[in-house]
This record gives sequence, structure tokens and C-alpha cells, in this order.
Amino acid sequence: MKANLFGKKIAFYIAIIIVWQAIDSADIWPDNIFPSPIEVGEDLIYGISDGSLFYGIGTSMWRLIVGLAIAIGGGMILGIFMARVETVNQTIGSLVLGLQSIPSVAWVPLAILWFGLTDAGIIFVTAIGAVFAVTINVYTGVKNIDPSYIEAARNMGAKGSQLITTVLIPAAFPYMITGFKQGWAFAWRGVIGAELLFSFLGLGFLLNVGRQLNDVSQVIAMMLVIMGIGILIDGFVFKRLEDKVMSRWGLR
Amino acid sequence: MGKLEAKNIEKFFQHDGKPLKALGGVNLTVNDGEFVCIVGPSGCGKSTFLRILAGLEKPDGGEIMLDGKKLDDTGPERIMVFQEGALFPWLTVRNNVEYGLKISGIPEKERNEISNRYLDMMQLTQFANSYTYQLSTGMKQRVAIARALVMDPDVLLMDEPFAALDSQTRDLLLVEMQLIWQKTQKTIIFVTHNVPEAAVLGSRVAVFSARPSIVKKIIDVDYKRPRVAEDENLGAYEKEILSSLRHQGPK
Repeated sequence: MKANLFGKKIAFYIAIIIVWQAIDSADIWPDNIFPSPIEVGEDLIYGISDGSLFYGIGTSMWRLIVGLAIAIGGGMILGIFMARVETVNQTIGSLVLGLQSIPSVAWVPLAILWFGLTDAGIIFVTAIGAVFAVTINVYTGVKNIDPSYIEAARNMGAKGSQLITTVLIPAAFPYMITGFKQGWAFAWRGVIGAELLFSFLGLGFLLNVGRQLNDVSQVIAMMLVIMGIGILIDGFVFKRLEDKVMSRWGLR
Repeated sequence: MGKLEAKNIEKFFQHDGKPLKALGGVNLTVNDGEFVCIVGPSGCGKSTFLRILAGLEKPDGGEIMLDGKKLDDTGPERIMVFQEGALFPWLTVRNNVEYGLKISGIPEKERNEISNRYLDMMQLTQFANSYTYQLSTGMKQRVAIARALVMDPDVLLMDEPFAALDSQTRDLLLVEMQLIWQKTQKTIIFVTHNVPEAAVLGSRVAVFSARPSIVKKIIDVDYKRPRVAEDENLGAYEKEILSSLRHQGPK
């Protein structure tokens, strides 16, 4: 069953490459507009062999990780406070909803003015693009905790920060994972978008270099890398974490 | 010690914007080491009363005294066993049972010793490392009881803990509950809507009236233990409980 599914996927992607190659061979568009899969593959191999691709991935990934960590930390604190303190929810809560609607690249001009063309600016964009999605999910998660968990814990003597770390966070964890996953998706878009505009190292920068050099195959190669990393992190990090948590928490 | 007194407990609920009197001055004294069951028509506020005893809800009138001292919050000397168990799914059975001990800062070695004793008492030893989703409803309630017992409370408050169990599992736990009570000598207050269950468990059975509830009648069940549900001699007690439940009269 699983092997069958995997086979289907492989066949699908091979089919795409064959169709792509066929369109290229039909010579409808010139090669500098529509490169063949082989040219894109060559660009990838070139990037791998001179190390620039790994350097780009590494740069983007560490910005992503730092930005996402800030977003998760901040979002958890904000979300828990919103869920537990009604005044915080009524005031900051409405602002969070508003800020959530701002696309992360719209923070780039502000980030450049505040931080200049630095890593900190890109990390700022990454974190702020993700933090509100995390906040909203953490808030929902804490709001939806079975009240008897909290009562049982209080009854056994849990108070304040103990209650937060031993009950609120673990009980809301299934929702939080959804928040982290959304946060990661926003952070990844944010980091690539910011790198494009900052033009300061990373995968987004390499993508932009491709455009500046009129190198379409470089552009497509970088897009494929960005997509591939997205699939990997979704499938391996979050899917596994989610599966494990859902079954442990008895939700599946 | 665990002498629990409820004096003239009143509680209102908001219903369609109007206050609805759920508890109309409940008086009940439960002596140290006594096993008291509370029965009443559904919606009569017996669970609310238990939650007030636990300190999870505040009464709108009256007071709760434990050994002569007024109470106004939850405390580890009154531990509640919830209807659905309220076990933490992110913890193993052992860690669930040890939760209260961990919260109060008891070191791991000591925690393990204490939990081993109660895991053994509730026949959970081989499930110590399981997670709750791997357990049947009956096993979950065993864990919930063990988790309450490790706290060594003076009073055990049980809110229809066997309501969701199949009858075989329930019969087994009814006998075990009596043995646990005899062994630990805890004061137990047990809310149920199941009359035979009340007759099997309770040394006394307090019958609540319909809203606004008061303790309508207290029936002494003076019969040897451990009792089993199918014992015909309990029938007379069940009849007495049932008839006092029935003669509520519309209010």
C-alpha cells in the first residue's frame, strides 16, 4: 500500500520531467526563456560542486531556525496570556489579528530601515511573519483544553508556572504543533522573500542573482531547491511530530 | 482526619439570564472514615455540590468545614476523581499517578516507591509505562483512583467515576472500591445516579431532592462488606432509596 503510493508519486514526477523535456524539444520558446530539465539539473550540480548551493541553504536555514524559534517562543507566551487573561485577549488579541493579515514581505522596508542590510533584518522579517500564526494557534489550543485537566491539576496542588508547564502547554500541544507548522510555512516564505529584497546571501539571494544574470535555469533550480526543502521539512519534521503527538494524545 | 461538614450550601446558575437556584441549602456531615454516597435526580446539582466540596467552585452561600476548619479553596487533602478520569494523555500511567507528588517536589526515588504501592493496589503495575490511549475505560479509572490515592488525601471525592463502565468492569470495581476503603480508611464521598451502586458502596446514602436541592433523606446501609451488586438483601435498601427519590413531588 505504502510502496504503491510511493511508486505513484515517483511515476508522476518522472512524467512531469518527460513532458517538460518534450516541450523543450519542441523548440517553441528559446532556451534562455524555457530551459530543459537537463540544464536545470546541470545548474544544481554546479551549485553543489562549488558549494555555493550548500552555503545558500545553510544561510537561509539558520535565519529560518533563529526566526522561527523567536516566533515560537514569542507566540507561545503571547498565546497563553491571551487565553488565560481576558484583558490581554481583548486588547492585544485584536491587534494580533490585524498584524496577522500583513504579508511578511511587507515588513521588509521597515526591517531595512531599522536593521540595515543585516541578518538581523531578515530574521526580524522571518520571525514577525510567523509569530502571529503561532500565537493564534496557541491561543486556540489553550482555550480548548478540557477544563477537567486544569481542575485536576489545581486540585493536586499545581499553581502558576507549574500549571503552565505541566498542563497548559502539553494539553494544548496538538494545536501548538499546527501553529508551529503554520509558523514554519510563514517563516520559510518570509525568509526567502526577505532575502530576495535584501539581496544579502541565502537562497532568495541566489534566486535573485539568477534573475540579474538572466539565467532562467538558475532561477528554476533555486525554486526547486526551495520547494524541496519545504517538502522535506513538512514531511519529515512536522508530519512525524504531528503523527506522534496525535496518537499519544489519543486524537487519532 | 477527615470530618467534612457542609453547612447550608447554596448555589445559583445563570439560566437564560435569570438566576436559577441549583442548591437550596445543603446540609451534610460526613464523619472521618465514612463512605457516603450521594444520589439524586439528574440535574439536581449533586456534582456541583461535590465540586464545591473540592473547592473547584465557590458556593453562593454557606460554608464547608474540614475538621472544624473553614475551607475556601482546593487542597490536596480533598482529592477529586473525575467522571472521565481527566488523566493526562501526554504522561505515562506512572507519571500520571505521580503527578501530584512531583508538583509538591517529592524526589523521584520516593515518588516511585509511593506510586509502586498504589499501582500494585490498583493492579496497574504491568501498565506503568503505557499511555492512557492504550487503556480501556476501566483501566483509566483505576489510574484515576491511584492518582488520587497517592496524594494520601483525608477525603476522596468521586464524581460518578464508574458511569461510563460496562457492568462487569463496574461490578469488579465496586468490590475493589470497598476493599480500598477498608484498607485506607479514607473518608469517601461518592456521587452517582445509579441506585444499586449507591447501596453497594455507601455506609450512608444521602438522597438529594430536585432543584433547588437539599438533602432529602439519609439512609443507613447497615450491611456486611464487601457487598456485591447482585446480593438480594441489598434490595430493601435500594427500594428505600428509590422510593425517597421518587417522592420528590413537583416543585
